Amino acid sequence: MEYLGTIGILIAIYIILAASYNLVIGYGGLATVAHPIFFAIGAYVSGLLAIHTTLPPPVSVLVGSGCAMLASLLLAASALRVSGDYLLIASLGFQLGLLQLIKNLAFTGGPGGLGGIPATIVGPSRTPVYLAIAVVLAIATVFAIRALVRGPYGRAITAMRDEELAFSALGRNAMSMKLVIFAIGCGIAGIAGGIYTFYFQYISPDQFEVLQSAAILTMVVLGGMGTAFGPVVGAVLLLAIPQAITFLQLPPSIMAPMQGIIFTLLVLVFLFLRPAGILGDTGRRRRSAGLT
Amino acid sequence: MSHVLRTEGLNKRFGGIVVCDDVNLTIAGGEILGLIGPNGAGKTSLFNLISGVLRPDSGTIRLNGKAVNGEPLYRRARLGVARTWQHMLLFRSMTVMENMLVAPRHYPGESILRVTVGRAGVRSAERTARERAHAILDRMALDGTADMPVTDLPFGQQKLIGLARALMNDGPLLLLDEPMAGVEGAAYETMQRVVRQEAESGRAICVVEHNVSFIRDLCSRAVFMINGRILQDGPVEELISSTTLTELYFGA
Ligand SMILES: Nc1ncnc2c1ncn2[C@@H]1O[C@H](COP(=O)(O)OP(=O)(O)OP(=O)(O)O)[C@@H](O)[C@H]1O
Ligand SMILES: [Mg+2]
Repeated sequence: MEYLGTIGILIAIYIILAASYNLVIGYGGLATVAHPIFFAIGAYVSGLLAIHTTLPPPVSVLVGSGCAMLASLLLAASALRVSGDYLLIASLGFQLGLLQLIKNLAFTGGPGGLGGIPATIVGPSRTPVYLAIAVVLAIATVFAIRALVRGPYGRAITAMRDEELAFSALGRNAMSMKLVIFAIGCGIAGIAGGIYTFYFQYISPDQFEVLQSAAILTMVVLGGMGTAFGPVVGAVLLLAIPQAITFLQLPPSIMAPMQGIIFTLLVLVFLFLRPAGILGDTGRRRRSAGLT
Repeated sequence: MSHVLRTEGLNKRFGGIVVCDDVNLTIAGGEILGLIGPNGAGKTSLFNLISGVLRPDSGTIRLNGKAVNGEPLYRRARLGVARTWQHMLLFRSMTVMENMLVAPRHYPGESILRVTVGRAGVRSAERTARERAHAILDRMALDGTADMPVTDLPFGQQKLIGLARALMNDGPLLLLDEPMAGVEGAAYETMQRVVRQEAESGRAICVVEHNVSFIRDLCSRAVFMINGRILQDGPVEELISSTTLTELYFGA
């Protein structure tokens, strides 16, 4: 039961990560690979606050998220000033550089990671309580983003993605919209980091490597980029299926390659059958690409 | 006479190509100015300089007397520079109405603060914009298309939507880049009528057009541009009957 609860918490955390990445990359059209580092900033800042201060955990998580947000503004403001394409390169540098820094600082625990984060909740109800918190936050994230991309704001985002020059020439401030979208997305990743820290009580740099963004991106693309619930489907599928396979109780020598094969097959099959993702609206996408 | 638009000594070059060479241009409210010249003359570039897509190397752009050089693209639109595009640049994944609704000079829906805590203001702005959009589409006999994906419309109607979207900006200056290219029949008549009505309502309008009869029908004054230079500025008939200009236009 405990084990299933932990899986559930992980899935909820990745739903938050995938949904916020989708906001940035799918809706905002902002190409970045730095999402794991904002996850890390949230995790490390809230972890350090938990260790060294008596701040209530929710406040630590919010401060962690605020730091992620600030860092993301710094990155986006300098990179987008050059160009949209430059953000991809700049985000890669930012991700690699900052993680390297974390690995080399003493107070972050270096490559060995940061441990000794106090258990805020103790006793048998610990995992169920964290599960409830994580799930509520995941649902809140998905619905908040959905509300954002639906109304007049979402219309502006779509127009900006379609034709940025015309959008700006109508009086819309594309730069400020991009900064806001980026900051919100990265701030949400910071919240995911905070939950992770408080539940697992231990974080290490290799959990926030740049490859994580490939995993999160796969969730987004598989579920349906630019759809509200796509990231949920993607995160659940990609995390739950490998777990389900473990229940078959196969010997490890078969299990490990099995997981890899099934995972790859799944991605290939879905992308072949549904190029816009499982929840993606193929018709509309075609039209927007000018293919019909 | 007060001019809505005045450019003073405007210069712009891309490497060796001069796209704007000491351009002094004025347009008064209510006037439709024709801007003609061969391909590559710098007509679109001049629109880009006026609307803020490009920065001039030197020179001043004044809107109602006020220099707007320092204002970025989006702020010039808010100051009242409305324009269309040679290649339309419609929002292709959106409906006609959605294209219209993001186009007013002021759109509180682009501010995260307003859409979260200033909902009432956003809602009332939406209502006003929707009414304005319907009225504009109605004038172009396009109200029936409001909820259609914009890419489902025939080319001529898409060109009209390009104009309709620009008209959501109720500012004093309207720049039209080849509004008639590829447009014929009913859409042609509509385009002509609407442009004329907009001038009558007091807007200053500048039309780039290769269709000379369109210019002749709408404008009394026109400028001829080549290699970024204004060669002649005067009555349309004079420009059109000039053999030198005709040679420059078709020759070279
Ligand atoms: N951003 C740019 N960078 C470099 N050169 C440019 C740029 N924009 C325009 N040009 C060049 O400037 C010249 C003028 O182009 P412009 O589009 O203004 O001409 P035009 O008069 O609108 O022509 P057309 O009638 O074909 O639309 C062309 O030679 C074009 O290649
Ligand atoms: Mg042109």
